[in-house]
Amino acid sequence: MPVELDDYSTVSGDASVSSTGNQNQNTPAPQSLSKKKRNLPGMPDPEAEVIALSPKTLMATNRFVCEICSKGFQRDQNLQLHRRGHNLPWKLRQRSSKEVKKKVYVCPVSGCVHHEPSRALGDLTGIKKHFCRKHGEKKYKCEKCSKSYAVQSDWKAHSKICGTKEYRCDCGTLFSRRDSFITHRAFCDVLAEESAKKKLYPETYTRKNHLPEPELKSPPAALVDSPPSVALVPAPAVSVETEPEHDETETANIASSSVLPIRDSSESPENITLQVIMEEAPRRIGLNGSNDHNSNNNKSVYAGLFASSSTASPSLYAASSSTPPPSLYPPSSSIEPISLCLSTTTPSLFGATIQDPPPPHFLTPMSLPPPQPAISATALLQKAAQMGSTGSGGSLLRGLGIVSTTSSPMELSSSHDTGFGLGLGLPCSSGTGLKELMMGNSSVFDPKQTTLDFLGLGRAVGNNNPGGGALWGGGGGMDVFGSGELSDKDISRRSS
Amino acid sequence: MNKAMILNPTRPVWPGFSSSKSLCGDANCMEQLLLHCANAIESNDATLAQQTIWVISNLASSDGDSTQRLASSLLRALISRAATRSPAFSFLSAAPVSQETLHRFSVIELASFVDLTPWHRFGFIAANAAILDAVKGYSSVHIVDLSLTHCMQIPTLIDSMATKLINKGQPPPLLKLTVVLAESPPPPLLGISYEELGLKLVSFATTRNIAMEFRIIYSSYSDGLSSLIEQLRLDPLVCNEALVVNCHMMLHYIPHETLSSSRSFFLKELRDLNPTIVTLIEEDADFTSSNFISRLRSLFNYMWIPYDTADTFLTCGSEQRQWYEADIGWRIDNVVAKEGAERVERLEPKSRWFERMREAEFTGVGFGEEVGREVKTMLEEHASGWGMKKDVDDNDDVERFVLTWKGHSVVFASAWVPISRVDGALSYIEA
Repeated sequence: MPVELDDYSTVSGDASVSSTGNQNQNTPAPQSLSKKKRNLPGMPDPEAEVIALSPKTLMATNRFVCEICSKGFQRDQNLQLHRRGHNLPWKLRQRSSKEVKKKVYVCPVSGCVHHEPSRALGDLTGIKKHFCRKHGEKKYKCEKCSKSYAVQSDWKAHSKICGTKEYRCDCGTLFSRRDSFITHRAFCDVLAEESAKKKLYPETYTRKNHLPEPELKSPPAALVDSPPSVALVPAPAVSVETEPEHDETETANIASSSVLPIRDSSESPENITLQVIMEEAPRRIGLNGSNDHNSNNNKSVYAGLFASSSTASPSLYAASSSTPPPSLYPPSSSIEPISLCLSTTTPSLFGATIQDPPPPHFLTPMSLPPPQPAISATALLQKAAQMGSTGSGGSLLRGLGIVSTTSSPMELSSSHDTGFGLGLGLPCSSGTGLKELMMGNSSVFDPKQTTLDFLGLGRAVGNNNPGGGALWGGGGGMDVFGSGELSDKDISRRSS
Repeated sequence: MNKAMILNPTRPVWPGFSSSKSLCGDANCMEQLLLHCANAIESNDATLAQQTIWVISNLASSDGDSTQRLASSLLRALISRAATRSPAFSFLSAAPVSQETLHRFSVIELASFVDLTPWHRFGFIAANAAILDAVKGYSSVHIVDLSLTHCMQIPTLIDSMATKLINKGQPPPLLKLTVVLAESPPPPLLGISYEELGLKLVSFATTRNIAMEFRIIYSSYSDGLSSLIEQLRLDPLVCNEALVVNCHMMLHYIPHETLSSSRSFFLKELRDLNPTIVTLIEEDADFTSSNFISRLRSLFNYMWIPYDTADTFLTCGSEQRQWYEADIGWRIDNVVAKEGAERVERLEPKSRWFERMREAEFTGVGFGEEVGREVKTMLEEHASGWGMKKDVDDNDDVERFVLTWKGHSVVFASAWVPISRVDGALSYIEA
């Protein structure tokens, strides 16, 4: 519609539309006199007057302009009130007493759904918003995600909810979709470590016939002297997340509550408990390819991966055991999903247990072998205390000879400082041992790969923008069709 | 025909042709140019080839719009083809596109990479829904995951199993996952070993209370996954175990008839294993023609899509876009510059795949309304060009889903169950 002026016609008077024609669109029953019913959007009252405004009119925000200062107002009433300030004559229009004929508005863009009088919109604001949304330029961009909007109120409404309904991984990455969140979570190192540690405790207790209150028996002095060292092993329990689907939360909570405080108890079970706790870690680690084992052991571990088809497992690796492709077998020290990795050289604390052969069923729950009767709890803790006191930072692991590289700390610290690496929930100050552990851990990894992992996390964490790929603000915001190519209908790719 | 011509290329002699950049947005023109170039190469016409190469190289750009980037990639592949296949073009130097230059993804990177567009997630959602439906009631589920995305579909499957397969106090089924490791898999390349990948998956499954086992089988797509089939045959029969074969964009690496008859053969072998369900997700395009020109045309008419969608989510120069486009470039190079057994990207259209499945005595199953809704919800999170259409195949009246970009088919998703062989009547096998 090139004309500036408004056109008038009635919906029912239009040649292409008759009042009966509207009936098949489920027009609601005739309006009762007592209450004004709202018509369904786009299905107007057949008796209403159709108005076609020009695009310019529709886009105009401030249609009423003061002649003195050119200030624009959206409503005539507001302009009138403003004119009082200039001592100009003003008049506020009263709401007219007679029945005003209902007006409906069509969209000026031909081909648009609402261009047809039969689909006109009954609300002036509505048609304006429609026009902007569908045919206008998206000038308002959400800061947090990539979505952009043509109508300011849409943009405001989105901004309110943007970032509220989101999934956040413990590593700090945000997701707007649950499935991308789940996929990430499955592979996120931070979670893998946490869950691995968490696993240790529930299984302990289930096998020990649900000890109601497992406690650590030890001479208080030894523990108090070197909290960090003891904190190492039980520390994960502190960070236990209470996932609803875990029915081991109870036992886990018990673990967390019993870890640090030392309670007196004369019961023998906790000796074994502590032992088992201490042992589970290395056992798991042993499974993960402790360097004490040669590659044959690794193979048997993996052969055991498919334990139920015992006939199958030999063939798994039989064919390939002679020359496995090098890419498949990680260097024996490189698999460390569990951060309690104690690298090779020092079995001192856990030495008694590392020699055990790995169980045949790898990483299937309830299949851990029974604990070894070994050093008493007291002795273990005393050893821990000794190690801790000799280490410079009180780090148990330093005492065990974990190498701590200098490069990785910088990566971690530069990327994200909420201690994602300490996502285990430890307060930063006492976590130095663990931080080093993880760095030391990373030195055990193929450095490039770990860099990628950490960087992958760090990048996502430190760089929460759509470019990072992890935050799915939705590509919908980045409208490739900003020039209006993509309308409701035709989506031809050939556009020039 | 000599080096001087390269340095001082003569103006091409087509009437009405202009090398101005105003043509660069015209995909039709680009396509014609590329076809001319291909024709020149096939007919050993070095002069024409040079001319077209010169023109295209002026129009194409690896930093331009999607048509330009597509053309740039195609041009590189064409040059490579010419240089390697014909002595007439030996003056051309082609930088070969090799796997060494491709990015090796960490798992976290890959996890976010597969969600950049719905390309893979579409298939994941549909397949997982079909799988979940099919394995209800089984106490053990054995999934053979033949996926381009290195098990990226599995976490959500595990999650669904954990939530939906809980049955009145009964534990969720045991999950066994078998994956295939091939010699040189196509991109995207995984930077960690499959053992590590398996560890993470099992670990994750444990957090969801699902007991899981993981196994790797070495097998090669070029021989129709024969060692996989052999191994699966050797697996002892387990009571109440469902066998699921999830084929996500990998089956097209099995050679088809122009090279060998492995593809249909594999499907028939699969049928012999009596799987509970087979999900087949593939890209809907035809790169199988032995005629290079028609192959190129098909390539152009399909590969514009990944370049086009890249514009919607990745800024120019971003690392992810580089990786993404490098992977596409590898595929294009494979279709254009390679022949014989080296040419592994042999996409087939949906109709042909369905024919094969039926020949192999499978029958299709539909996905259901809920899955359709789930896919559509997912698509809303992505750029507005993505869509989904429901496609009913005339032959079997089963409604399937096809992912579309601006109306063009991109990926189809289908699910199949074996047809019973007894009585000659069509009935589903109760495994």
